[in-house]
Amino acid sequence: MFERIMSSKGWWRLFQAYGLVFLIFLYLPLALIFVYSFNANPINMAVWTEFTFDWYKTIFFGAGTAGSFDAAFTESPDRIFEVVRNSAIVALSASTISTVIGTATAIAIRRYDFVGKKVYQALLVLPMIVPDIVLGIALLIFFVGAGFELSLLTVIIGHTTFLSSYVFVVVSARLAGMDMSLERASADLGAGPLTTFRRVTLPQIMPGVVGGFLLAFIISLDDVVITYFIAGVGSQTLPLFILAMMRRGLRPQINALAILLLSFTFTVAAIGLYLRSRKS
Amino acid sequence: MDGFLQIRSATKMYRTPEGGSIRALDDVTLHIRSNELISLLGPSGCGKTTLLKCIAGFEDLDHGDITLTGQSLTRIPAHRRPFNTVFQNYALFPHLTVERNVAYGLDVAHVERKERTRRVGEALEQVGLAGFGARMPNQLSGGQQQRVAVARSLVLKPKVLLLDEPLSALDRKMRESMQIELKSLQHSVGITFIFVTHDQEEALSMSDRVAVLASGKVQQLASPKEIYDEPQNEFVANFVGTSNIFKGKVIAKEGRTLTLKTANGRELAVASDRFGVGDDACAVLRPEHLKLSGEARDRAIKGTVTQSVFVGSEMHLHVDVGLGRTAVVRHRHNKGSTEAAYGPGADVTLYYTPEAAHVIECKGA
Repeated sequence: MFERIMSSKGWWRLFQAYGLVFLIFLYLPLALIFVYSFNANPINMAVWTEFTFDWYKTIFFGAGTAGSFDAAFTESPDRIFEVVRNSAIVALSASTISTVIGTATAIAIRRYDFVGKKVYQALLVLPMIVPDIVLGIALLIFFVGAGFELSLLTVIIGHTTFLSSYVFVVVSARLAGMDMSLERASADLGAGPLTTFRRVTLPQIMPGVVGGFLLAFIISLDDVVITYFIAGVGSQTLPLFILAMMRRGLRPQINALAILLLSFTFTVAAIGLYLRSRKS
Repeated sequence: MDGFLQIRSATKMYRTPEGGSIRALDDVTLHIRSNELISLLGPSGCGKTTLLKCIAGFEDLDHGDITLTGQSLTRIPAHRRPFNTVFQNYALFPHLTVERNVAYGLDVAHVERKERTRRVGEALEQVGLAGFGARMPNQLSGGQQQRVAVARSLVLKPKVLLLDEPLSALDRKMRESMQIELKSLQHSVGITFIFVTHDQEEALSMSDRVAVLASGKVQQLASPKEIYDEPQNEFVANFVGTSNIFKGKVIAKEGRTLTLKTANGRELAVASDRFGVGDDACAVLRPEHLKLSGEARDRAIKGTVTQSVFVGSEMHLHVDVGLGRTAVVRHRHNKGSTEAAYGPGADVTLYYTPEAAHVIECKGA
């Protein structure tokens, strides 16, 4: 009955139409800011006047060079470079540290049996489920209580806490598919524990480790909520900066900045997907 | 006694999830000679794989000791023991080519490149895989992967090669040809092979000696012929080959000939040097020792066929001989002959010589 309906041409068309509408729903907003970022109209971005690169230029070279009339709304390139640098430092450090911690934890959990292992595993995954705002407040209270001055360091530490969970999950999935007798075979052939890790375990789980790192990197890069609580005065990151810009009005430069961030994220994700398809 | 590889009072306990403990190895003492192919044979859970892991160094003994030419291995970790293992699933490194797999142990030991290349080539030649060096493991058949695993171990010239059910994943034909190859390989390289298997035919056909294990203990250690012809106890008699075992009490002794009286009153004449009148004893008769026609000096038992099974080269007849258990008889049939005579319900007379019977102690007779 159901198959008959589905196989009739009319229903199939309708199904295709639904798929198309859903994709438009997903991507239209992104397409809009992409188009707006090239719209020269400085007053109302929804009304197309002419094509321009000005908004991108103002990001890199400042308002003066593009001849934009509302320089008051445009941030200086120095300021933008500073927050991009902050974001890069945070994302790279936090995802690198989390990758080391998460991978080591995943290997230990896979290799050893101990009392309370299940509980420990659940506690490791929990930070992924804890609402960001709760984690943000908790980290803030912890840092203030422990006498930390809010800075890039606190942001890195804060990100590492929950990013380690993501890496742990991704690497664990990869380890689950790995034949543990390979490590035994390596030991049997004369390799010590470090050599075995370097020559057998790591190559086997590399796609998981790289995947975990890139995931952590992207999450760290666009985190707003947690970062908002634990970033100090001089440690504004790119997403926080965009948020602050938005408060002063929806400027066309924001579109350009968003598109740049989006392109970068897509590139990182594409590299990750490519590496994964090549390794497995 | 050859003191090559000695296992003394080896005991290993495992904790069960319920909180109890299982003795996987229970006071196992085994002396393994140099340059022999010895099988550890037993059903799953008998401790054979645990023993192999303890020898390899992947598991530690709770009690007892393993020594190699007099030196204790207890404190030597797996990667420093002069043993190599061929794993049940081969455990080839999937990210390395066949050549890199075989070279792995030499790489780790920093063997010089020229020497390494030569030895890898030699090892691949030995297992008949010359020219396969550039392949990846997943491009090989099961039998070829098996050979790579053997080459990977042999290239290190170990003192002992441990093989953990290496043929169990292969199909029957491949398994049989690998049995012959492994045996001849063992001869040519001249090192000790310890071969774990649950397949008694495999153990009998390949080994110089067989150690039969059950519930963590060595039941018998002997040559394949001895294991088959003179099983030490009921377990070995039942596990290795098919046995007709009749329990009874010795009621008369005349020279070497004992008369065994079974629970239901039938009498059976068997030959043995042991046992006296009044002892409980079990007579083991292999199916091939029971014949459907006999000579004058043979003893006869009358019975009724309950089932006849055609297996190709012969018929297996299950005969109720009134001795408490049905006897299994193998009958080689001729093409074209009428086999109706041995269908279920047929009355037959089985002939055997008392000398063919092997008499053992009965447990709980």
